[in-house]
Amino acid sequence: MLQIDNLHAEIDGKPILKGLSLAVNAGEVHAIMGPNGAGKSTLGYVLGGRAAYEVTGGTVALDCADLLEMDAHERAAAGLFLGFQYPVEIPGVSNLQFLREALNSQRRARGQEPLSGAEFLKLARAQAAALGMDAEMLKRPVNVGFSGGEKKRNEMVQMGILNPRLAVLDETDSGLDIDALRIVGDGINRIMRAPDKAVVLITHYQRLLDYVRPDFVHVLADGRIIRSGGPELAHELEREGYGAIAA
Amino acid sequence: MTQLPTNRMEAWRWTDLAALEAARATVRGGVPAIEGLWIEGDGPRLVFRDGEFQLDLSTPGEVSIEPIAPVTAHPLGSATAGTGWRLTLDAERAVTGIQIVHVATGNENHLPGLIELGRDAVASVVETFVGNGWTNRLTTIRLAEGARLMRSVRLLQASGFVSLREEAEIGQAASLASVFLGAGGASSRVDGELVVAGDGGFAEMGGALLTRGEQRQECAVTVRHAALDGASRQIWRAVAADRSAVSLAARVDVARGAQKTDGEQSLRGLLLHRTATVNLKPELEIFADDVKCAHGATVGELDRQALFYLQSRGLPEGPAKAMLTRAFVADAIDRIGEDAVREAFAADAEAWLSEAL
Repeated sequence: MLQIDNLHAEIDGKPILKGLSLAVNAGEVHAIMGPNGAGKSTLGYVLGGRAAYEVTGGTVALDCADLLEMDAHERAAAGLFLGFQYPVEIPGVSNLQFLREALNSQRRARGQEPLSGAEFLKLARAQAAALGMDAEMLKRPVNVGFSGGEKKRNEMVQMGILNPRLAVLDETDSGLDIDALRIVGDGINRIMRAPDKAVVLITHYQRLLDYVRPDFVHVLADGRIIRSGGPELAHELEREGYGAIAA
Repeated sequence: MTQLPTNRMEAWRWTDLAALEAARATVRGGVPAIEGLWIEGDGPRLVFRDGEFQLDLSTPGEVSIEPIAPVTAHPLGSATAGTGWRLTLDAERAVTGIQIVHVATGNENHLPGLIELGRDAVASVVETFVGNGWTNRLTTIRLAEGARLMRSVRLLQASGFVSLREEAEIGQAASLASVFLGAGGASSRVDGELVVAGDGGFAEMGGALLTRGEQRQECAVTVRHAALDGASRQIWRAVAADRSAVSLAARVDVARGAQKTDGEQSLRGLLLHRTATVNLKPELEIFADDVKCAHGATVGELDRQALFYLQSRGLPEGPAKAMLTRAFVADAIDRIGEDAVREAFAADAEAWLSEAL
């Protein structure tokens, strides 16, 4: 589903990704772990299509289509969802209005009929309820005044509504307490655990992986994947630290 | 012939006087359609074409047409002397949903308006400007004790120049809330002087000015607090695209005895292109020592993080920019209390955004 080959990317002329390769098949969950500054968030932004990051080499294919040729919104319509480490606050724009326009833009791009207001509201309420988010919060401006945990939960509600094929989740576990971690973990499993879907979980710690069991774990250091393994690798990292693995 | 101010005068330095002169030199021509401009409601409706009352298109109700001799020293406002419209309400009367459409077909037209509300009277007036040429208005407002006036004005002229002058005297515990939207193709100047003359009075004059192409719009508003416990709001939003310019000059004067004044002034500009200009000139002059006057003035571009966030969820760049710009403008338009009016103004802003972005 996702094929990254020898990806190089930089920001402000500073190389961050230095030959990263990764293959993700449908039905798989991949965890990408690594120390601070390894390029984890950059990988998320490059896949999402943020303009400030310049790809200087390599290829990325989503279902055989050239992802790097697409604008950010086209990537979303192609089935990619980027969960933000720091979801952005947008005063004056309600969650509902934003998500309805976003979903219908995606649907139009895929040649589907846009959802009516009533159909969308039903979907949004169901997704909010599944993640234990008060439906009233959907009416509030996007992430404004939300706690760290509420913002992450809102990311998952958005993911549930947009129903992507590939989710790239950047430190979705940061800022969550134990209860919220379980809710978010359950949300990822419920929305994304399917034979035709895949997840790339970018995380610093092992604890989210107790809830979302990865099929593969990769260690990202200095812009490249230096080691790959099964779920046991996450425990090894937790035990021995990145220093020992990277050395 | 009206003696025009010049850009050398400080108060007129940003005014697009060249656009005014050019508009004035145009020849009267086609009459734009107005049917779609009415907002739902059964209040009085008045149409003026090139400043002349159109009886056949109007149901003026409590609004009368009569000679008005404005008392003003304003260089453009004083040019409006002549027959105009007048709304005078006795104590405790209420007339809401008054709509006035001003159609201009070219050249110049001038019209005075007068609103006098008696004690505890209530009125709401919506004015819409469409067409071409130079349109010049003076509106004089007098609010007696406890009177309330809601005023919403939208500038939708396709081209030319619109100059509005508002002069208001606000009595004890009276309230004037006015919102202006500039979302057409004409250059403009929204000029006002509001005096909070009675204790506990409230004065609000704000709005959103949206410009593109070579257009220039400005506001030049002064609120004078001359009594105790007064409050005022000047909330202006400027959005400038292409090579256009918006200038916001807002001033609050607090007289020596006007203690406990609560003033708020918020001037914010959004540049949609680097070639556009927003000028902000916030001024406060305070002679009382127990007052609260919050003020803020900022100019910036759309937040790139927010833009990427919206795009990453599937919104193309244009609609994403429009969504953020709409939220920016909403600060001013959401001040309109009447739902149908607010929705109509929001739709006009939306139409502007979809063309500009």
